[in-house]
Amino acid sequence: MRRWFMALAIVMLMLSTWLGLTKGQIVPVQRNILYVHVPNSIGALLCFAVLLVASVAYLITDRQIYDWIAAAAAEVGTVLASILNATGMIFSRAEWNVWWTPSPRLVSSALLWFLYVVYLILRTSLPGSPRRRARICAVFGIIAFLDVPMVYISARFIPDIHRPDFSFESSWQSLALMLGMVGTIVLAGVLIWLRTDLLRRRFELENRLHD
Amino acid sequence: MKSAWSGFKAIVIKDLVIELRARQVLPTMIVLGMLIVFILRLVVEPSSGRAEMPMMAAAALWIAFLFSGLLAQERSFGVEQQNGCIDGLWSAPLDAGTIYLAKLLANVVILSIFEMVIVPAVLLSFSLRVTGRWLDLVIVLALGNLGISSVGTLFSAVVQLARTRGALLSIVVLVVLLPMLIPASFALLVLFGAMPEEVGGSGTLAFVGSFRAAQGYLLAFDAVFIVACWLLFGVVVKE
Repeated sequence: MRRWFMALAIVMLMLSTWLGLTKGQIVPVQRNILYVHVPNSIGALLCFAVLLVASVAYLITDRQIYDWIAAAAAEVGTVLASILNATGMIFSRAEWNVWWTPSPRLVSSALLWFLYVVYLILRTSLPGSPRRRARICAVFGIIAFLDVPMVYISARFIPDIHRPDFSFESSWQSLALMLGMVGTIVLAGVLIWLRTDLLRRRFELENRLHD
Repeated sequence: MKSAWSGFKAIVIKDLVIELRARQVLPTMIVLGMLIVFILRLVVEPSSGRAEMPMMAAAALWIAFLFSGLLAQERSFGVEQQNGCIDGLWSAPLDAGTIYLAKLLANVVILSIFEMVIVPAVLLSFSLRVTGRWLDLVIVLALGNLGISSVGTLFSAVVQLARTRGALLSIVVLVVLLPMLIPASFALLVLFGAMPEEVGGSGTLAFVGSFRAAQGYLLAFDAVFIVACWLLFGVVVKE
């Protein structure tokens, strides 16, 4: 099952790249990075939403599966946010001749990356029982999310060098971008699923060792 | 209600008395703050133009508050680890939220004492004038103080048993406070005369917009952080 989803995601991402670079090519050439950049930004944000929902669910139900989902979402989100920032910087250098500038969009993307990385460090450095660690991480996830609405959502409504609204010239371009987005979301979902499963198995193995 | 209030008072007074008698952290905080101000003052040469003074001063103030604030917050629950005082605190007939608010108030008071020393030091060493805006300056500093202390106090209770507790506390607190520092810096830049009252354009500071808006953002962050930390404190300290 998981394997099929993974294959589907990879096919979609390959198709997206191929379409984007042939029929749907954007002029000037550096703007084609959008086919990677935009899907990754959506994916990184969705992973944060998963992290938040899983954290809240853990605090309510006290079931460990939600803690594993939150951890997996943070790991996948870190990768997506890294790609988001890296591609953004490359694009910024080509388009505006600076690697980075404190515009609201860029600040919020960097913040997202920092939040993920700190979450992962916090997970690995807390002593004590796994339940205590899970609760603390869930609380950090919720408090970190309080930063997001202010920075991310309101950043859409003010003038910025970064334009979220991009007008497509052909339907090939929107098709390529759509494939990229769906492919990235499916891939992120499969990876979260995989990591959750691995964390569960590790937990069971450790339990067996201790018995 | 009455017992919650007396417990609240007892914790605040206990923390402040310990600090004033043993002077565990205030001298360190003040020296660290002054060193930060001094180092950043060295970077601004007289020849490089006076426009840089207010910018560097705003940076120096917030960096000094953040890092010295971290020292106070780390001690806040660190001091309870000795002789197992922490067990006494948790077994007190008090709601966890009340303990949080008491610790928060003690931290806010300690950081305010620190501010009373460090703010004049910054104003003098960067030769700044805040003519007629003293009340605004006090409001901005107090709002910043509340925000810094609110998140720090919550996570101070969390990191105590970790091997790298100071380092861990600093990254956790700084990353959560990062967005709040944008309106905070904006407000100080306006007060120090480095920026006009309202800013347009496309940068992060233009995002804040005006001085009033910056104060509004600070107030909103404080309210959200304090309420969230107060509600969630019971969850993180439960064993």
